[in-house]
Amino acid sequence: MLEAIKPSKKTIFLYLLFPITAFVFTVFFPLLAAIFYSFFEWKNGPTKTFNGIANYIQLFHDATFWKAFGNNIYLVVACLVGQIGIAFILVLFVNSKLAVTKGIHRTFGFFPSTISAVCVGMIWSMVYHNQYGILNWFLKSIGHPELCKVWLNDTANIMLYVSIPLIWQYIGYYMVILFSAIAGIDQQIFESAEIDGANALQTAIHITLPMIRNTMLVCITLCIAGNMKAFDNIYTMTKGGPGTASMVMAMYGYKISFEQFNMGYGSAISVGIFVLSLLVIGGSQGLIKKATKRMED
Amino acid sequence: MKKLIALLMAVAVMAIACTALASTPVAATELAYKGELELMHFSTSEESEGNGGSDGFRTTLAAWKEAHPDVTLTENVLANAEYKTQIATLAAAGNLPDVFLLQGMNTIAWAEQGLVLDLTDKIAASPYYADYNTAYFTPFTSNGKIYGYPVLTGGTCTVVIYDKAMWAEAGYDAFPSTWEEVEKASEYFNSKNIYTVAFGNGGQWQLNSDFVSTLGNRYTGPEWFANLIAKGGAKFTDPEFVACLKETKRLFADTKLFNPDYNAVTNEDAREYYIAGNAASFIGGNWDESYIAATLLASDEAKFNNIGFAVLPQPADATKAPNSQNIGLGYAVAINPKVAEDPDKLAAAIDLAQELTGPAFSSYCAENYALGGLTKVSDVDLSKFDAITAAFYNWSYVDTETCEIYDSYISSAVWSVLNTEMQAMLNGEIEPEKVAEDTQKAYEENY
Repeated sequence: MLEAIKPSKKTIFLYLLFPITAFVFTVFFPLLAAIFYSFFEWKNGPTKTFNGIANYIQLFHDATFWKAFGNNIYLVVACLVGQIGIAFILVLFVNSKLAVTKGIHRTFGFFPSTISAVCVGMIWSMVYHNQYGILNWFLKSIGHPELCKVWLNDTANIMLYVSIPLIWQYIGYYMVILFSAIAGIDQQIFESAEIDGANALQTAIHITLPMIRNTMLVCITLCIAGNMKAFDNIYTMTKGGPGTASMVMAMYGYKISFEQFNMGYGSAISVGIFVLSLLVIGGSQGLIKKATKRMED
Repeated sequence: MKKLIALLMAVAVMAIACTALASTPVAATELAYKGELELMHFSTSEESEGNGGSDGFRTTLAAWKEAHPDVTLTENVLANAEYKTQIATLAAAGNLPDVFLLQGMNTIAWAEQGLVLDLTDKIAASPYYADYNTAYFTPFTSNGKIYGYPVLTGGTCTVVIYDKAMWAEAGYDAFPSTWEEVEKASEYFNSKNIYTVAFGNGGQWQLNSDFVSTLGNRYTGPEWFANLIAKGGAKFTDPEFVACLKETKRLFADTKLFNPDYNAVTNEDAREYYIAGNAASFIGGNWDESYIAATLLASDEAKFNNIGFAVLPQPADATKAPNSQNIGLGYAVAINPKVAEDPDKLAAAIDLAQELTGPAFSSYCAENYALGGLTKVSDVDLSKFDAITAAFYNWSYVDTETCEIYDSYISSAVWSVLNTEMQAMLNGEIEPEKVAEDTQKAYEENY
């Protein structure tokens, strides 16, 4: 960089001072505090008693926590396929020469991701409602009332039903990211592929996907991180029920901390969520990099 | 123009009249304290619309502020759910406000940790003590010491609201007193595609507060729960309580008495089934009763006039208290012990607590809503209320036997486990014995 326009170290420091301070106070300190408090028994009041790693031993043996972790992994897989997979297919459709009113598709596709998660949860609670829901109404209308059920009380499939609103909400978000990535690919490459006789599927798999690999990696990371901390939609729809069938880790941490007022164990759960999320995100990135490297080789 | 002036004058007169109505006289005690006093509560203006306890609280508070202009009352008003979270967080940080509302189940833990002031002597010295309904102090008592003035109105948590006309069509003059009869009646209602009883447990707490708390008393009697509170050896795994859980499971999972979505909808949804005529009865709390009555009065007067009230029917194998319903005051005005460092400030806080729960509050609620609070009001004139309000007053305070509300006591950690597992139990995923075992484990670990 030219010396004339390069800012001084003092200027850079001043520019970074506020965001770094904000980050440290809102993310780093609370994390450190959670780690610190996780070594205490701290229930229903200010009295804290140091109990070593007792909270972590309890966490290790806590079946509900591991069930919640399993539900988060279910959400991650469902949303990777549902959010990014469907978004990618829709982007290819909208980008095709045959598609018209592309702008409208982009706007309306993105629209659900602008709605607050609680509103999305409420909308879908109404969709699933046993008496007044559009889903049961539709089933009755097409002559299949035997298929009607109390959707949000179906323990076996509840995770699927709470995943659908999450998928619906964020398809547009990933569509926008993928649109911009695909727009950056030189059109001549697609034209060459077309001349060479590649069909749409072959173009998508062998040209588009490798060309937007880095963007895809960002999308996958965002999707995993987002779903490891899923909370609000599910809380609005089922509160983790029936029983603990749709419990996710963040909701379990909330319940322990703010319904059972067990702050020490709640802190241990928060640390557990942090560590498991890092492992899942890091592990998935490693896997993707390995897979893409093998493809390149 | 004249019309406009007349209209404006009429509006002004009405506004003055409404202001005059919405006031209640508090004792104008001379207070030496001049300064700030913090108060945290959950009687929001939205909550006070149609809710007699909240309206009475706000009205009495306004009168107290007017009577004591030298005390600057700093209010922090939150909706109930947010209040519970925030007050617990402040307690965990040891930073409670000067005056706040203490939930019964937190009394023992917070008293042990010195978060609430012992008010035993102050309460005994209260000028209104003779009129207090002393039974309401029980949830706020620990080791013989009282830590709060029970506040708001004492309302039932378990009432069966039924449509007399619908039940008459089914051949019943009144709501049945046993579940066997209700099951028999359900054959008629099911043939008409009408839910016999509407219930909503989507929030998980409703089955405990609005059902099991009363049904349990039918099996165990009040001594068992008193023993449980006193850590006297009673257990959730005791056969009487397990029998209550088994009966609960049977009624919900093995019969067709309830709306099939009882585990997915809230009480707010379920009461709409009753209002819409899709259900012949509904089980809920006093807050549901006031909503149903107000809605039907505005929309369907004939159905409003057909409202009947009943206690929970008696199970065949239960032997105790068939006429009981759980009623009480879940919160009390409590004072931060730090306030006692300034005797004048403490006197102001005590005066505020006394007035918020005293005759000014109780008279206002009795006269305007036919509801009772800590301070008894003699000769409530029911003649100026409609028949349904009067009937509910008599049902709540005169005609029925009372029992405790489970989650006013013990610990939220215990109820959180019971509520979550009972929801799964109703779906047949967990047996009543296991629910009892897990709840007992939570009780031993947290209480």
